[in-house]
Amino acid sequence: DSHIQYERVGADVTMKCGSMDWDAAVTWTANGTDIDESHLNGSYLILKNVDLTQSGQYSCYEGSSWHLKYQTYLRVGTPPKEPVLMCRSNNYPKGFYCSWHLPTPTYIPNTFNISVIHGTKEMVCEKDAFPKNRCHIRYLQLFSTVKYKVTLTVTNALGKSSTTVTFDEFAIVKPDPPESVVAKPVPNNPRRLEVSWQNPSSWPDPESFPLKFFLRYRPLILDQWQHVELSDGTSHTITDAYAGKEYIIQVAAKDNDIGTWSDWSVAVHATPWTEEPKHLTTEAQITETTSASSSSFMPPPTTKICDKGAVVGSGAVAVCWTAGLVLAAYGVLFI
Amino acid sequence: MAAPDSPSAALQRRDLCSRGIRLAGKMRSDVVDLLEAYVERQGLDASASVAAVEGVPVAAAERWDEQTGTQRLLENLAAYRAFRALLAQMLEEQREQLGEADAALGRALAAVLLQVSAFAYHLEELLRLESRGPPSEEAAGPPPASHLSLFERKLRGLGVLRELAQWAVRSTRDLRQLAKPSPGSSSAPSPAESP
Repeated sequence: DSHIQYERVGADVTMKCGSMDWDAAVTWTANGTDIDESHLNGSYLILKNVDLTQSGQYSCYEGSSWHLKYQTYLRVGTPPKEPVLMCRSNNYPKGFYCSWHLPTPTYIPNTFNISVIHGTKEMVCEKDAFPKNRCHIRYLQLFSTVKYKVTLTVTNALGKSSTTVTFDEFAIVKPDPPESVVAKPVPNNPRRLEVSWQNPSSWPDPESFPLKFFLRYRPLILDQWQHVELSDGTSHTITDAYAGKEYIIQVAAKDNDIGTWSDWSVAVHATPWTEEPKHLTTEAQITETTSASSSSFMPPPTTKICDKGAVVGSGAVAVCWTAGLVLAAYGVLFI
Repeated sequence: MAAPDSPSAALQRRDLCSRGIRLAGKMRSDVVDLLEAYVERQGLDASASVAAVEGVPVAAAERWDEQTGTQRLLENLAAYRAFRALLAQMLEEQREQLGEADAALGRALAAVLLQVSAFAYHLEELLRLESRGPPSEEAAGPPPASHLSLFERKLRGLGVLRELAQWAVRSTRDLRQLAKPSPGSSSAPSPAESP
């Protein structure tokens, strides 16, 4: 008959060949391969200081008849270390979820048991199908000052370990990041970028539980972020963008009154509107202009620049003028 | 007075709700600061668990989302009236206990008391708009605390301020619900007027 045997890494394991006597002649195999007699003590198999590679199927055959007398599946592993547990409400006021993981693998199956206590009441945390190490729970009460106490116990064949977290209803509220962040240039406005986004779809009632937002943006070429906090609305116009520079923009969300900020949204890139040059010059002239000055004010080569000879015809070209003057100034410096 | 469902009443309600939300926001911010100062000055442990104290209105609500507008207003009003009396009592005790030694704490308590009174009045205005009129106040105040030891009174004070901070958040949510344009927000049967 066959069964599973769990042993700790580093343990010494002795396997008996079923009901065979100690002095019976037997052959042991590991995953079908014969085991050398040096590991035997009579008919017992001795494995010293086992490691993970020694997991597998061990079989014992009677010497002459090769009848299978015993078979076991050896699983080498470790007892669980203290698990890591966190709880969060990204769908306030509906409920919250708790998720956990082990800091190091045990290499053998583990079972998780979670208990949630609110005051004197024990609540049921329903396990999610996916992801596996997660459960969710509905709030039975709102605005309670009584703390929640969540205990997670991990058990396997070699031992158990548990951890407890305690928290207030408000403290764990953290929305998911805003979704569908879009940044667009504004026609005829070389210093503006229009950013819009949506409430995270997991937030159930943004009308009654409004979110506030934090926008951060910077040109790719700089490290420092600009920040704007917005108490309502899901759009904002940046008005101080550097002309012609590509920007990276992110948004975060927070309940207006409680909890913590979400993670940053996926980053979006956008470049403010720039005017097409009015007079087309030859490639050579443009190249000459760009190489003559080498200050940090120069836009990256792929971005269009205004030709110095552009006719002043509209308000937007004023920027071209300024760029032209800067180029001229630096040109003078470097000639 | 405008009929409760008329357009002008709806506008008034929205206006009162917006102002109420701002009041509640400021009140909460001040209560949180007061809590910090109170814990420090009274030598308490900020994470101490305080059992539910008699006479302190508990902010926790089951089926909060199912409440009618009138229910919300009545529960809020009852709570803030109770807090008004409790804070007045705390202020009295604090003066007796420390005299002039901790004037700053006393001033902070008085400032919060003022805001609680103002908020209670604001709620009464909203109830008048619902054509319900606010219920008359109970004659009895909070249960006297004279039998409690000094330490027990301090813990009680902690409980009061914690629940008040929670209520300030709840009130913001209640007023937002109230401000939503919804028919029959006051037509559902309400619980007994006197708490």
